[in-house]
Amino acid sequence: MQVGDKNIDFDNDGFMVAPELWDDEVARAIAEEEGIDEMSEDHWKIVNFIRDYWKEHDLAPPVRLICQELGVGVRHIYKLFTAGPARGACRVAGLPKPDGCV
Amino acid sequence: MVIKKETIDLLRPEDDPQEATAAARAALREPLRDLAAYHMDACVKCGLCGETCHVYLTDPVPENLPAAKAAKVVRHFRRYHSAVGRLAPWLVGAKELTQSAFDEIVEAVYGRCTGCGRCGLNCSVGADVGAIIRTGRNVVAAAAEVPPNLQAVVDNQINTGNQMAITVEELKATAAWLSEDLQLETGDEDVRIHVDEPGKRVFYLVNPREVKFFPLSLSAAAGVFRAAGENWTMSSKFYDVTNYGLYSGDDPAAARITKQVMDEAARLEAEEVVLSECGHGFRSFRWEGPNWLGEEYPIRVRSILEVMLEYIEEGRIEIDPGKNVERVTLHDPCNLVRWGGVSEPQRKILAAVASDFVEMTPNREQNFCCGGGGGMLSMSEYGDRRVQSGAVKADQIRATGAKIIATPCHNCADQLLELNKKYSLGVEIQAVCELVFNALVIR
Repeated sequence: MQVGDKNIDFDNDGFMVAPELWDDEVARAIAEEEGIDEMSEDHWKIVNFIRDYWKEHDLAPPVRLICQELGVGVRHIYKLFTAGPARGACRVAGLPKPDGCV
Repeated sequence: MVIKKETIDLLRPEDDPQEATAAARAALREPLRDLAAYHMDACVKCGLCGETCHVYLTDPVPENLPAAKAAKVVRHFRRYHSAVGRLAPWLVGAKELTQSAFDEIVEAVYGRCTGCGRCGLNCSVGADVGAIIRTGRNVVAAAAEVPPNLQAVVDNQINTGNQMAITVEELKATAAWLSEDLQLETGDEDVRIHVDEPGKRVFYLVNPREVKFFPLSLSAAAGVFRAAGENWTMSSKFYDVTNYGLYSGDDPAAARITKQVMDEAARLEAEEVVLSECGHGFRSFRWEGPNWLGEEYPIRVRSILEVMLEYIEEGRIEIDPGKNVERVTLHDPCNLVRWGGVSEPQRKILAAVASDFVEMTPNREQNFCCGGGGGMLSMSEYGDRRVQSGAVKADQIRATGAKIIATPCHNCADQLLELNKKYSLGVEIQAVCELVFNALVIR
């Protein structure tokens, strides 16, 4: 995928191969693929939280933390990211695919 | 009947390729201990299995024929375990099992097959192709050549007790958070996720995916248990209903994963293990576990589907199908239905809790795999194929006109979420217990 002057590669699951190339513009481009026409304030809040957590812990945050830290309901997250927190929100946040049954 | 297997003691070579190949050859002896040896020699190459397979139907190349995938395993089996194969291997296409053979086996038995078993069920001579594929995975696992992303999930289960490496603290924090939300939602101060409570009747296992990303099904199960007056608990350490040893083909690992959970059930003095909605988890804990361990369990193991149906039939919960008015259809997980034999409870439940429940076609044991089974969801290298092979399922779903797809499997649910996106199905995916919870009448 070409985003500005960056060429972004994805694995066969659609997750970024080089997460360090991620920026807001890349996030918008992935979000568009997720059917998100425009990244709202809530979208950004969630994506940035996931991104920061991952940078610190090398893990995707549990949905509990996203909800509690940001004060959003879990159903709201599913509405914003219809593919769910892992394949939806984590993907937009430029994380590698989380392990396991997701 | 329990087939005693000594696989638990099988050595797992890590570095030495010579030793690895020797262990892999030893794994080929495994089917001799049961009827699978017959299946190894049964294929008559009629090719009819092609149209039974979702992978072949969506990409009809010869290497996607179930018989062709099985043949990648059978040719090595024949080399060591048939008289002609030993003496004149070239006559029967028998092939030496060497280190260089693994790439081809891996490609066939992990990369092109979800082990769904539909081909075996419909085989013209009754060969259990799924069992042959699994033997192929046994061989690969014995040589420590399992695809790394799949192996990582098995390692998580063994090292941390669950496939997503969720910490005990996180599990407890999530249980507390969900309990609080559930109390607010239901107005019932006593409903909660019970953790580490000994002496409860039910020891409940869940998919870590429920804890980490999709907790609504766990809340729903807690709500249904509460309404039925059930005594239940989870464990904060060993609550994982999945067993990726089934997928990887690593029977010793599968045995360890089974044992850590069944030991926890005994420690908590539970009377029954109840499994959350998980296809391969049901097959593993209900049917394969005693074989892996080489002994019967001391306590009963059931799916929550069987338990919820009991609640409904015994009048322990009151439900109103008018609360689920949108059209619902059911996706049958292969490991629960075709391999596991649980077919009717989910249908009876949905007919009771939803006012417009329709079947997709074909269904029950003839249902098509969603494409996400067999560990596919954890192997990114096959992601494109996985989504492509799900086109069969997408067509089945579209034909029902349903708005909600109920599926008693979190692995299937993830694949269905992706199919929903890629094939623009416009549906919602739910666990069966979520629909039951939504239909509850609380007085």
